[in-house]
Amino acid sequence: MPQAVPGGGKIDTRLVTRSPGRKACGGRPFIWAAAALFHLGLATLAAGPAAGAEPAVARGEYIFRAAGCLTCHTDTKNKGAPLAGGRALPTPFGTFYTPNITPDPVHGIGAWSDADFITALREGLAPDGSHYYPAFPYPSYTGMNERDMRDLKAYLFSRPAVATPNRAHDLKFPFGFRFALWPWKLLFFTEGRRIEDPSKDAQWNRGAYLVENLGHCGECHTPRNFLGAVDRERRLAGNPVGPEGKKVPNVTPHPGNGIGDWSKSDLTYFLKTGFLPDGDFAGGAMTDVIQESTGFLSDEDRAAVARYIFGLPPISGPGAGP
Amino acid sequence: MRNAIFILTLGLIFATAGQAFAAEEPQNVIKYRQAVMKAIGGHTGAIAGVVKGEVSFTGDVAAHARGIQEMSKLVSKLFPKGTDNKMQEKTRALPAIWEDRAKFDAAVKAFQAASANLVRVAEAGDPAAFGGGLQELGKACGGCHKPFRAEEK
Ligand code: HEC
Repeated sequence: MPQAVPGGGKIDTRLVTRSPGRKACGGRPFIWAAAALFHLGLATLAAGPAAGAEPAVARGEYIFRAAGCLTCHTDTKNKGAPLAGGRALPTPFGTFYTPNITPDPVHGIGAWSDADFITALREGLAPDGSHYYPAFPYPSYTGMNERDMRDLKAYLFSRPAVATPNRAHDLKFPFGFRFALWPWKLLFFTEGRRIEDPSKDAQWNRGAYLVENLGHCGECHTPRNFLGAVDRERRLAGNPVGPEGKKVPNVTPHPGNGIGDWSKSDLTYFLKTGFLPDGDFAGGAMTDVIQESTGFLSDEDRAAVARYIFGLPPISGPGAGP
Repeated sequence: MRNAIFILTLGLIFATAGQAFAAEEPQNVIKYRQAVMKAIGGHTGAIAGVVKGEVSFTGDVAAHARGIQEMSKLVSKLFPKGTDNKMQEKTRALPAIWEDRAKFDAAVKAFQAASANLVRVAEAGDPAAFGGGLQELGKACGGCHKPFRAEEK
């Protein structure tokens, strides 16, 4: 079911033309690789909205996948309805419970205007003016462009409403005081849409947008300081205590500690299928990310992610790659 | 009489052999099961090289798929009681395997189905379907590793 999705179903020929075997063996591996990858792209679209759906909704679904909203806003463990919230996120600061983002007008976000939605993502503010905890990754989403935000809302509003009430966070003293979030934001939050770097090409800029903003990779892969702000000096260099109290690997191109010994196609293949370069299949939190988010991206977008990641400064420690 | 003695001896041999099997060292079972898992990972790693276009051995993917399918038939018996990571060293098998055996058995079944499907699409020589089959297989590996294998220390 083809849709108007950016880059959807396109073939990442770079994966193929880079291959050392190609010259020696003619077109066959090209066909295999291209077709297999192409199919993965199509398979991911098959789960999309019905044909003839609003372009904004179809586009929004792609943004929704890239932004990885589903895994956090669904309480899969307790068989919660999709996007109805309630998933527990245990952190060193206490346990957060994600809210309902279905279009239910009472318990979800059904009563929100576009402006409310944009303010939440861009500024980390609820419609009543209260501050969100940065467990909601608005420090990443703030960089999204407005069209993506609007289309994302259109997609969310096309989903079934579920009347599941929200559950209050269970935070340790003194993090339960929301007013403390205002100075926190002054210190650590930079609001605003990502401005493209004109010294870099389009692919790098797209990769930066996908990694730093939509994909919010750093929210898990970057360590946080004692006030819960990501440490920008150690961007993507691994987090000793990530969500669920688990260690999150270093994904900078550092050869020993990060993924410096991976090729770009190792990374794009991993983000698509979940298979590691040694053939193993990691079973951690990244499994959900691959199955609900990166596995749905176009090959072009995954290549952009790899381009950006391998252009990062390699940072040592802690721990090896995924 | 001779025959009777012969049969008796034979029975004794088998009985002791069975005994030896039952009393297999947990560490040896763990070593064997990890070797089987590594063999599976070897096949998926090899397939990756072909799908990424790094090598031209496209005709080999069906053999690798069959290898995975053969291994998938062994998985269930590789997890006798007493070989989890609480009771044994050098293993990442979680006690959850024995606490929720029905769920574990379902994960094995899903793995067998996904690998049988991979053989089918590989033998059909349809690269497009193969890509989808591979993604399904990955889900089956993850569907067992996530709940039943401890994360790397
Ligand atoms: C039904 C459950 C199950 C399925 C399905 C499964 N695995 Fe495993 N796998 C395990 C468990 C449990 C371990 C840990 C074994 C141990 O440490 O004793 C493991 C370990 C491994 C290892 C590490 C072996 C080592 O110790 O070096 C690799 C590699 C691996 N699996 C690959 C795969 C791949 C690839 C697939 C899918 C094609 C797969 N597994 C499917 C349960 C499973």
